[in-house]
Amino acid sequence: MMPRFFIRTIILSCSLLAAAVQGGQQLTPVPGKMPAPDFALEDTEGKLHRLSDYRGKTVIINFWTTWCPPCREEIPSMNRAWQILRNEDVVVLAINMGEDEDTIFVFTADYPADFPLLLDRGGEVIAQWPVKGLPTTYVIAPDGTIAYRAIGGREWDDPGFLELIRGLVH
Amino acid sequence: MYSRWSRRFAGNSGNNMVLFSRQYGVLLAGLSLAVPAGAGVRHTVNDSNGLRGWDFTDGDIQIELIQRLPDQTRALFMNHAFSREVIEQLALSCMFQTIIRNTGRSGSGQPVAVDLSQWRLHHDGKTGPVLLKEPLLASWSDADASTDAKLVVRWGMFPTEQEFQPSDYNWGLTAYGIPPGTEFNLEVSWTEGGTAHAATIEGIVCAPDVDKLK
Repeated sequence: MMPRFFIRTIILSCSLLAAAVQGGQQLTPVPGKMPAPDFALEDTEGKLHRLSDYRGKTVIINFWTTWCPPCREEIPSMNRAWQILRNEDVVVLAINMGEDEDTIFVFTADYPADFPLLLDRGGEVIAQWPVKGLPTTYVIAPDGTIAYRAIGGREWDDPGFLELIRGLVH
Repeated sequence: MYSRWSRRFAGNSGNNMVLFSRQYGVLLAGLSLAVPAGAGVRHTVNDSNGLRGWDFTDGDIQIELIQRLPDQTRALFMNHAFSREVIEQLALSCMFQTIIRNTGRSGSGQPVAVDLSQWRLHHDGKTGPVLLKEPLLASWSDADASTDAKLVVRWGMFPTEQEFQPSDYNWGLTAYGIPPGTEFNLEVSWTEGGTAHAATIEGIVCAPDVDKLK
């Protein structure tokens, strides 16, 4: 007979899985309430953004480059998500890895992004995060811990994703 | 429970794509969420540029390899501070655009993990490893590649080891270190929920160099 705790584990696992799966896409819950590594980076306008300054808000952190096709593909949906959530204590910070302002400026003519585009020219910040490939995106809960992770592109304005993100805010 | 199986697969296109797959390990008793899915290799050809692709699926893993012309690789790396020798080394190393994905189609919710250091290519009676980015990066002096240029290889080439939860995928370059136009078989391996799998994708062809194009 299957032990009771094993059945409970299966039910709990299925519930967590269902909670993070939306419309065939999934955000992976990150267990353990791991604190997000802090950083201070300038955006393309020269404004400094420190992650810890956004404590109390949900922060979507996207690591990307202009030459990465799935990074390019997901930027429009991320921009739409940002337009929907911007007044709901949600922040989107897209950290470009290794490129300069001019390259990003040219890129944004074709892929408009209204959220801050941060510059990690030497790759020092990305090295502090458990990122292996681009794009990788983390959703940081208002308490500064990593709540969800997505490796590869997603459709960020998926209503299910928006609900998950709002769920962290409230 | 211990299981082991193998099978032979013929692709829809009529090309004989032989798939030899093995599973080892413990199946999670009682968890019948996973439905064994079909495996196979689908050939693709890009109508606009003629580049060929091999799209392999088995269980929850999908591995897509798309030919990359040496000139495409030259163009990518010439935009960064690499020496001419390094650019040629990369361009002639049989690069493929590679996408590895956990499709999650079985519904098991199990992670898929790959370790490219375990993959092997077979051609002309020889067996060799995949060209990994770590030894490449370590082999270059500052004159061969600037720090910024090395970042392009660091993030442009596929990670040697990576785990994918359902819906996760990564996109990057894999290189095989054999001349343009060479045909080879690629022995791939991965784990799904901790269970080891392996398969061989036959008849992959490195893109030809510009002098071989019609």
